Amino acid sequence: MNAAVPERPLPTPTRESQSFWDGMREGRFMVQHCAGCGKARHYPRPVCPHCFSMESTFKEMATGGMIHTWTVCHHPFNFFFKASAPYVVALVDMDAGVRVNAPLRGIAESDIKIGQRVRLGFEPVTKEITLPFFVAG
Amino acid sequence: MAHALREKAAISGVGETAYTRGTPKSPLALQLEASLAAIADAGLSPRDIDGVVPYFPGGGIAEDFIANLDLPDLKLSVFVPMGGATCVAAIQTAAMAVATGVCRHVLISVGRTGYSGARVSTRLQQFPQFALAAEFEAPIGMFAPAQLYAQGARRHMELYGTTARHFAEIAVVTRQHAILNGNVVMNKPLTVEEHHASRMISDPFRLFDCSLESDGGAAIIVSAADRARDLKKPLVTVMGVAEGHPESPASIAQRPDLLEFGLAKAAPRAYDMAGVGPKDIDVAEIYDCFTFTVINQLELLGFCKKGEGGPFIMDGRIGVGGELPINTHGGLLSQGHVVGLNHVVELTRQLRREAGKAQVKDAEVGLVTGYGDMGDGSVAILRRAA
Repeated sequence: MNAAVPERPLPTPTRESQSFWDGMREGRFMVQHCAGCGKARHYPRPVCPHCFSMESTFKEMATGGMIHTWTVCHHPFNFFFKASAPYVVALVDMDAGVRVNAPLRGIAESDIKIGQRVRLGFEPVTKEITLPFFVAG
Repeated sequence: MAHALREKAAISGVGETAYTRGTPKSPLALQLEASLAAIADAGLSPRDIDGVVPYFPGGGIAEDFIANLDLPDLKLSVFVPMGGATCVAAIQTAAMAVATGVCRHVLISVGRTGYSGARVSTRLQQFPQFALAAEFEAPIGMFAPAQLYAQGARRHMELYGTTARHFAEIAVVTRQHAILNGNVVMNKPLTVEEHHASRMISDPFRLFDCSLESDGGAAIIVSAADRARDLKKPLVTVMGVAEGHPESPASIAQRPDLLEFGLAKAAPRAYDMAGVGPKDIDVAEIYDCFTFTVINQLELLGFCKKGEGGPFIMDGRIGVGGELPINTHGGLLSQGHVVGLNHVVELTRQLRREAGKAQVKDAEVGLVTGYGDMGDGSVAILRRAA
């Protein structure tokens, strides 16, 4: 008997994060910036933790960054990912000043290093949702 | 001036169920079974309990305790939503309640069917604290703690040269302690080679780096110290206790330093309150959701410098008979996963000299941590005051 593969877990954009996900769909890496002090923050939230302003804008930012750390996921805690395991997930210090966690593709596990340059790509998974991934760059 | 809470509270009773993989009992039944055992251990009647801090979510709430234990006048019902840091942080809440006279005897309890009920990835979705992980990390294939914490472990290895051999040492010594305890899920010896050969879960964590999914319950009673003195068991007081919350508390990914979390804030406060330091600790029960998290916490607790946790735990130091025995009951890795309340039970027994084959000789002062919920931390320092 073949158990049905569960559906991919998808984000549910919130009033805070809608602009980020809209940007992803358009192939743009949009990061929330405080309208008061100008600092970037991620994940999106209502108040700037630096100056407490509630005004913010989303700006399109560069997609480059450096690997902060990574893991290689072997056990599929969600069986949707069973077919793709093992897969690498890299945590990246983006040049934009925030971090992004996403699958890293095209670099052998033994070649991954902290500080390595990568860039973010955009993978549409539904009409509404596009998810990030990283490749060398 | 001594801290207002220092030694005002005591752990007066401790109780556990059998730790198993497979049970017909509900989480609530396990929680109540452990609670009755803790109440009997203290020499109290269930009707003496006037405060409850049940682990949440999962298991019972105040209504269940009133209905089952016939509590005549419950004065405090609190949740401490800190995941694995809950049980030790709850000691602080309970200590405040008994020190101020709001309550006399507060019951902290956990009942869990982590093996026969919902597994970890399902359970976590009940936590509001995991909403960010659900939105940003689950869709890219990262959700379980084994995956999220693995990135911190990898960074520690890359920066400081920590190795799988260090991880294995924690797993192997913890298993030796479990065998001494007896009421454990994992009762066969484990070798370094078996650790290294176990399947990879989320690199660098192998199967034997991960805590158990098990069924069981645990409970403790926190009483005012002056009342506990007259109870059945040797007096074990709360010298120091604190909780701490990290930066970026709901997302490890966005935390400036992945290796610095709530315990870094809690530890100095607990030592200050207790009036002792790492050198005074005779035995330590360290929250071991993963082998690596023990190494990381020993650094934040000041037992060694940042980055030196790997070498620190080697060469017999953390075994019973060593300089700093750790997880003398088998921990979450080998005894059972009741969110670390078993660590508090064990430390209390060590200080009462009730720890059987795993007894640390002349244990006077001990330390126990909680760690969870993406990086919340808690620590209590207990003393044999009998």
